Amino acid sequence: MLRFTASRLVQLVVICFLISVFAFLLVHLLPGNPARTILGPNYTPANEAVLLKQLGLNKGLVAQYGTWVTNIFHGNLGASFLTKQTVTGALSVAVPIDLELIVVSQVLALLVAIPMALFAALRPNRAFDRVATTSTFAMLSLPTFVAGPLLVLVFAVTLKWVPATGFNRLSQGLGPNLKSVILPSVALAIGSVTVYYRLLRADLIATLQEDFVTMARSKGLSTRYILLRHVMRPSSFSLLAAAGISIGTLFTGAFVVEILFQLPGIGFQLVQAIYANDYLVVQGMALVAAVAFVVVNFGIDFLLTILDPRVRRA
Amino acid sequence: MPDGPSTVTETSSPLATGIAGPVGGRGGVAARLPASGLLSRKGGLGLTFWICASWVVFMILLAALASVLPIKAPNFQDYSAVNVGPTAHHLLGTDDLGRDLLSRVIFGSRVSLIIGFAPILAGLVIGGFAGLLAGYRSGPADTVLNAVSFVLLAFPALLAIMVIEAFWKPVSLLKLTVMFTFVASPLLFRVIRATTLSFASREFVLAARATGAKTSRLLLRELLPNVVPAAVSFALIGVAIAIVLEGSLAFLGLSIGLPTSSLGNIINDGVNSNNLQLNPFIALWPSLYIFLLLTALNLMADRLRSYFDLREVTL
Amino acid sequence: MADSADRYDRRAFLARGATTAAAVGLAGVGLPSLLAACGSGSPTTPHASSTPGIGIGAPKRGGTVTIGLNSEIDGFLPSTSHFDNSGLTYANTLFDTLTVVAADGSAKPYLASSVVPNSDMTAWTITLRSGVTFHDGSPLNADVLVANLQALQASALTGQALRGVVDSVAKVPGNDLAVTVTCAEPIVAFPQYLATQVGYVIGMAQLESQSTTKPIGTGPFSLVEWVPNDHLTVTRNPHYWRSGLPYLDGLTYRPISEDQSRENSLRSATIDLMVTRDPNAIRDLRGNADYQLVLNPTVGQGDMDFVILNTSVDPTSDIVVRQALAHAINVDELVKLFGAGIAKPNLSLFPPGSPYRPADNGYPTYDLAKAKQLVAQAAPNHGGTIKIALATITDPRLLNEVQAIASMWGLAGIQTTVSEIEQVTFIDNLVTGQFQAYTDEMFGATDPDLNYVWLSPTTANGAIALNFARNKDDALETALQQGRTMSDQAVRVKAYQEVDKRLAQDLPYLWASLATWCSIGSDVVQNFNNLTLPDGSKALGFSNGILDPTPMWRKD
Repeated sequence: MLRFTASRLVQLVVICFLISVFAFLLVHLLPGNPARTILGPNYTPANEAVLLKQLGLNKGLVAQYGTWVTNIFHGNLGASFLTKQTVTGALSVAVPIDLELIVVSQVLALLVAIPMALFAALRPNRAFDRVATTSTFAMLSLPTFVAGPLLVLVFAVTLKWVPATGFNRLSQGLGPNLKSVILPSVALAIGSVTVYYRLLRADLIATLQEDFVTMARSKGLSTRYILLRHVMRPSSFSLLAAAGISIGTLFTGAFVVEILFQLPGIGFQLVQAIYANDYLVVQGMALVAAVAFVVVNFGIDFLLTILDPRVRRA
Repeated sequence: MPDGPSTVTETSSPLATGIAGPVGGRGGVAARLPASGLLSRKGGLGLTFWICASWVVFMILLAALASVLPIKAPNFQDYSAVNVGPTAHHLLGTDDLGRDLLSRVIFGSRVSLIIGFAPILAGLVIGGFAGLLAGYRSGPADTVLNAVSFVLLAFPALLAIMVIEAFWKPVSLLKLTVMFTFVASPLLFRVIRATTLSFASREFVLAARATGAKTSRLLLRELLPNVVPAAVSFALIGVAIAIVLEGSLAFLGLSIGLPTSSLGNIINDGVNSNNLQLNPFIALWPSLYIFLLLTALNLMADRLRSYFDLREVTL
Repeated sequence: MADSADRYDRRAFLARGATTAAAVGLAGVGLPSLLAACGSGSPTTPHASSTPGIGIGAPKRGGTVTIGLNSEIDGFLPSTSHFDNSGLTYANTLFDTLTVVAADGSAKPYLASSVVPNSDMTAWTITLRSGVTFHDGSPLNADVLVANLQALQASALTGQALRGVVDSVAKVPGNDLAVTVTCAEPIVAFPQYLATQVGYVIGMAQLESQSTTKPIGTGPFSLVEWVPNDHLTVTRNPHYWRSGLPYLDGLTYRPISEDQSRENSLRSATIDLMVTRDPNAIRDLRGNADYQLVLNPTVGQGDMDFVILNTSVDPTSDIVVRQALAHAINVDELVKLFGAGIAKPNLSLFPPGSPYRPADNGYPTYDLAKAKQLVAQAAPNHGGTIKIALATITDPRLLNEVQAIASMWGLAGIQTTVSEIEQVTFIDNLVTGQFQAYTDEMFGATDPDLNYVWLSPTTANGAIALNFARNKDDALETALQQGRTMSDQAVRVKAYQEVDKRLAQDLPYLWASLATWCSIGSDVVQNFNNLTLPDGSKALGFSNGILDPTPMWRKD
């Protein structure tokens, strides 16, 4: 077990390293350079050379990468060439937003998907199941850039229950905070419901057909009891795995929602930085998002190892 | 088998199997393709299936034959007929520039259908092939592929697409398809690899190997039929995601250049609240189209899966 | 002031919202005349006993207000940060300008107590008010002012625009509060420049540190917290030199780049006041008694929406092609489709009612037949077919607009490709001349001379040119110079009328309509457009998207 954990950790480090290299290279493939954006009308090749030297961009790629990584280990992710805001500063704003969006949206999605799947699994291919399947596909056809404006129109503009834009930090109170996060989270949750529902339903149906379930039934246990006590756990694995990928990609994938609701999360800031050729910000954000993905999925993998006895490795 | 980083356990492939549905992934029995034809077993695939199938075929034909159909030009702007509702002259109405919506939806569906299916199909081929091999023959190649796919998955797709677009201008349907394939392949690879893994240690595979079956035969005859249903079900969701992802890119202005409009473009246009209030049809028709397409495909896939359900097949 | 073009961050983001550079001036508002130079003459909101933006009753001290702006800025240093209308609104909050434009269009001293020219207007003496301190307690004096002006001169950003305007700066000997600025030639509109980006005076500490994140000004509010793209919070400056002001305890600005999201935020009371240029928002909220709408004033120039043509590349370098393009656009139809009934066509650099606008500037009117004929005439010189690449930034309204324009040009026989470009690249292309036809929005100013650097043929050369259209026209330069250096108003009027005619002949710009800038507030925000100058006269107020929060108070 210990060896297993250790080897997993090594893999995690290796993958994070690969990602950092990848992020660095990709950013430096961007055409144009920040000098043009920063200097503006003062752009001359001479001035550009000076500025690049100032920013440390005149050294070779390997040297730049080295500097970047060393700085990271000192806790310095760099700063924006333009606003001079530090990347860590930007992240300290972005990460709480994304974390909250992810948690709330996935919880909402699960709250809807799990009961639906349980109910459908009990009566497969009957009325409820059919309706549920169709409606979840409807949800998949409702992208965030459609759901978002619709939700805002109804709940913010017409009913005035929640704000239309902006993020209220937790320090301003839990109520305002949740209110500012609920609409974007619902918009994000919609797509996830389908995936979770289908996964769980399929797994539940499969598990329900296993021998041990038949045996439990023959012992006289009620279906509901069996479902909750014996079947949920082994059926939740694909759900967990999918949740891992879903959560991981949402760190940057929520950009549509972030723009619509003016939430400066990672996706929002990443796009902005890419346009401005703000290298360090792009690298920093991409690295953090990717590492978050890796960590989350490794965590879930680990969880699965513990939960699913079939997976235990010697 | 060496440990590879995986979000999915090695022995049971919940991600893949789960999505696919009961594919006999748990103590079930390997599939055998029925010797007889599609219609002769259990009374055929059912009316629902054929209705859905014809609807899908109809949609594809409309898209393919768009240029020769007797519909108006999709980009023709008629300022005297702006934001008109459905009439005899404009079956689905017009948009805010006086363009016929029926024609725009049909021409838009061309782009959306291609961007939905092509990357997924290509991804299935690339990722699927690699996944089958990697899952069956775990070895150093498998570890490497697995690690690479994980890195690719972890890396923000948005960034990759934006960077690639930045120096591969102008964005065309082909280039977008290639980029999407790039994004879809790792995911499909992992799904198929996981499914393959779960079957590779099964008795029927061992049995086939014991009887001296060649690897290619094993892959094609034994593993593939089991893997396909899982892959197809997953791929279906992938199609939906691809179509919607293109719309999200259009939202950022990163999709195919004007004036080619995909359904995503049209929906984006229709959903800003000015149009939403003045003319909700602009957003409605393409959304309805996507919904019908996905539902039809889903019903078809479900029916096919239950048709080939291994539970009912005896050895 | 001629704001520097290139990083016009109207939209912090991918410019879902149009436009690039803005020559900004504090154009003012005639107060009852909230009839926009663009408006259809319709009144704004049917408030029973008040004018929008003018408070009812006595001012109340206290409270905070949340304002939604259309873009985020990149910093608070006037010499290096790019100030669009949002930037100038922030600047009005944290700093003061030396002069402010009054309701009659003249620039009156504000932070300065006087701005006096010598006999031939080649040197101006600026005397500061006494007893004014910055947020950090340091005093406002001539040394600070000299340092400020020299920094602006030295900066690439503002230096170009100030070339000729500020040639050298020196303290007046024996006077701790006075500075003399010498100009390269007579600059008649010098006080107007001091009301723009180059007129903000910042504290010595900020100048020395060149900090873009820690502003030190003399303004009514001081910085509490700035989280880019999220909010800017400020608090009242208790030692503000205008006693009694400001009334509010503090303010929060929220940059919301999506027009739609901003309007929704106002309607859902997430924000109390917003700035917009979206005619749809104006149409939606116009008749609503819960909101006060303030449109652009009739004094000065408003930002113009137009298509800019690059006269230094083929085929737009051909005057016949430009004429064809102009004749082919049905501006009336275009404005009807996208102006939400609010915007009006305007085929001149100057708005209707401006003295500088000639009775007939000779601008080509819509004539499809003529356009086709001109195309047929010019096509052989361009390989048989005329091909134009028309682009805009990613904004839903503009995207549709360019598709309409492309269709109109297509009817005349011009093959047009349409594309969308994100803002930073867009501005870069304008500055470096890598474009054929772009949509743009510019030229708002309180005095026509403030646009000199964008229009003059002298700035049309080199790899980086501030005259994006790069048109070279000697008659135009002569007229611009006359307007710049002649103090006789009659001469200036004639000169700028000539400018308008020359532009209509040379066609670097295809005019469409005036930008429909508007500030819209809920009833909670009072008096947001009623700034009184120290001498008691009224300031011009909101224009071209620039707010001044000094006189605001909160109703409840």
